[in-house]
Amino acid sequence: MMARVISACGGTGGFIGACLMFLLIVDALAAPWVAPFDPLKVDMLNALSPPDAAHLFGTDQNGRDVLSRVIWGGRASLEVSALAVLIGGCGGVGLGLLAGFFSGGWLEQSLMRVLDAMASIPLLIWAIALVGILGVGSVHIAGFTFGNEVKLLALLGVLYIPTLARITYTTALGEAGANYVAARRLQGVSGLRIMLSDVLPNCLSPVIVQATLLLAIGIVIEASVSFVGLGVQPPWPSWGNMLADARNYLFSGEWWLSVFPGACISLSVVAINLLGDGLRDALDPRHSTSALTA
Amino acid sequence: MGGMLARRAGFSLLSLLLVSACLFLLTRAIPDSPGRIVLGQDATEDQVAQFERDHGLDRSVGVQYARWVSGIVLHGDLGRSFITGRSVGDEIAKTLPVTFELVVVAFVFACVFSLAAGTASALLRDTVVDYGVRLVAVLGVSVPGFWLALILIMAFAVDREWFPPGGFTPLSAGFLAHLDSIVLPTFCLGIFYMAVLSRMTRSSLLDVLGQDYMRTARATGLARWRVLIYALRNALVPVVTIAGMSFGYMFGWALIIEAVFNINGLSRALLTAIQQRDFALVQGVVMVFTFVFILANLAADIANAWLNPRIAMAAA
Repeated sequence: MMARVISACGGTGGFIGACLMFLLIVDALAAPWVAPFDPLKVDMLNALSPPDAAHLFGTDQNGRDVLSRVIWGGRASLEVSALAVLIGGCGGVGLGLLAGFFSGGWLEQSLMRVLDAMASIPLLIWAIALVGILGVGSVHIAGFTFGNEVKLLALLGVLYIPTLARITYTTALGEAGANYVAARRLQGVSGLRIMLSDVLPNCLSPVIVQATLLLAIGIVIEASVSFVGLGVQPPWPSWGNMLADARNYLFSGEWWLSVFPGACISLSVVAINLLGDGLRDALDPRHSTSALTA
Repeated sequence: MGGMLARRAGFSLLSLLLVSACLFLLTRAIPDSPGRIVLGQDATEDQVAQFERDHGLDRSVGVQYARWVSGIVLHGDLGRSFITGRSVGDEIAKTLPVTFELVVVAFVFACVFSLAAGTASALLRDTVVDYGVRLVAVLGVSVPGFWLALILIMAFAVDREWFPPGGFTPLSAGFLAHLDSIVLPTFCLGIFYMAVLSRMTRSSLLDVLGQDYMRTARATGLARWRVLIYALRNALVPVVTIAGMSFGYMFGWALIIEAVFNINGLSRALLTAIQQRDFALVQGVVMVFTFVFILANLAADIANAWLNPRIAMAAA
C-alpha cells in the first residue's frame, strides 16, 4: 500500500513533497484552529519579543504572534496561487484543447496567435503594474467584499493561460490524429464528445505537472507583490507583507521577523517542486524540461 | 534562415502592438477619470476637463492609442507624466541604466556559472561535485531572491560590514565602491536563474552525451574535449531559449530586488508612479519592460537558429 502511494508520487522525493504540501494545505485550511493566537491582536507590551515558549516564532512590532501570522499568511499565499492556477488551468486547457482538436482552421490560427502574443507578457511586471493601475483596495462584487489580492489572483490566472494552453495544444494536436479518435468518429460520436471524453483525459498529465510548477511560481509572485505593498493589505498577514515589515528591523537584530516567513515560502516552494518533479517522473516521462522560470 | 528571422521579428512586432493595445485599454478602463484621480476629490469639474484636454484624454480611446503609438514610432516619445509633466522617456532614461546594469551583470553571472557548474555536474555525474551542484540548484530555485537579500543584508552588511546594506554607488565614485554596492543585489537576482540554467545544462548535456553519435565520435578517435564542444553545441539549444526568457524575466525580479536594496532604478520610478497613480509613466515603464522581454526572446530564437540550423530549416 505504502509503496504504491510513493510510486504514485514519483519516488521518495515526490512523496516527501506531497507530505509537506499536505501539511501546508491542512495548516492553511485549519488556520483558525491551528494558530495559537489571533493574528491581528495587538499587544504593545509584548512587542518585538524573541521566540520563547509562549510565542514560538516571537512577536512583531505590534506584539502580534509571528507563528499565528505565518499560518494565516500561508492561507493567503495558497489561496492566491491555487485559485490562479485553477483559472489558468480552466482557461488554458479549454482553449488549448479547442485549438489542438479542431486544428487546421481559423480557430486554431487565431487562438494560438492571440495566446502567443499573451505569452510575450512579462508576468511579474504586469501583475505589479496592473494592480497598481486598478488601485489598491478591497473589491466589491455582488454584495461580497474581497481583499485586494483578488485582483492579483485574477491577473495571474489570466497570464497563466498561454503557458497551459500551449502544453494542452501540443498534446491534443497529437491525440487528434490518433487511431482511437478516428475509430470513435466512425462509431458516429460527435467531435465535441470525443474531445471531452476521450482526448481531454489523455492531455492532462503534462498539464498537471506544469500546474504544480506554476503553483510554486504563484506563491513567490504573491509574496513579491505583497512585499512591494500591492498584494495582501495590512493588517492581514501574508508572507510577503510580513517580510516588508521585517525590512525595518534588519539593523536592530530582530532576526525572527524575516527568517520565519521567508523560510515558509522556501519550504512551500521546495515541497511543490519535489512533488512536481516526482509527478513528472510518474506521469510524463517524455517532457523533461524544467519550467521553473518566472 | 533570413525568412525565418523576418517572420519571427514580424510576429514579435505584432505581439508588441497587441499587448500594448491591451495595456492601453486597461489603463483607460478604470471607472474614474485619470484627471479626477490625479487632481483629487476637491478639483472642480472644469479643472478635470481642462486636465483631460491637456493630456488628450477627451478623445476616444482609439484616437488616444493611435497618437500614443505614432508618438513612440515616429518620435520615440512615450508621452508626458501626468504628475510632473516631464517627458516619460526622460524619466525612464534616467533610471533604466541602473536596472539594466544590475540585470546584465546578474545575467552574465548566471550564464557563466550555470554553464560551468552544469557541465561539471554532467561530466562528473554522481560524484561530490554533481551532488553539490544539484543541491545549490534546488536551494537556488526555492529561496526567493528578496528573502535571500534580507538574510544576506543581515549577515554581510549588518553583522559583518563587508558590503553596504543598500543604495547604489555610481561608477564615478570609484570602481571598487561601485562593485561593492552591486555584489549583493546581482547575486540575489542571478542565483535563481543560475540554478535553473545549471539544472537544464546538466540534464540536456547528459541527454546528448548518451546519444549514439557521441559514442561514434569518440570511437573515431576524436579527442574528449572536441567531443564535449560538439555535445555542448547541441545541448545548449534548450538552455539558450530559457536563458533568453530569463533575461526578460530578470527585469521583473529586479524591481523587487531594487526595492529591498533601496536602489534608485526603474523600480523606484514604477512604484512611485503607481503610488501617485501616474498612468502615463506606468504605461511607459511597462512598455519598455515588455519590449526588452520580447527582444530577449527574439534574440534567443536567433541564437538557437545559429546553434542548430535544423531549427531554422524546419521553421522556414
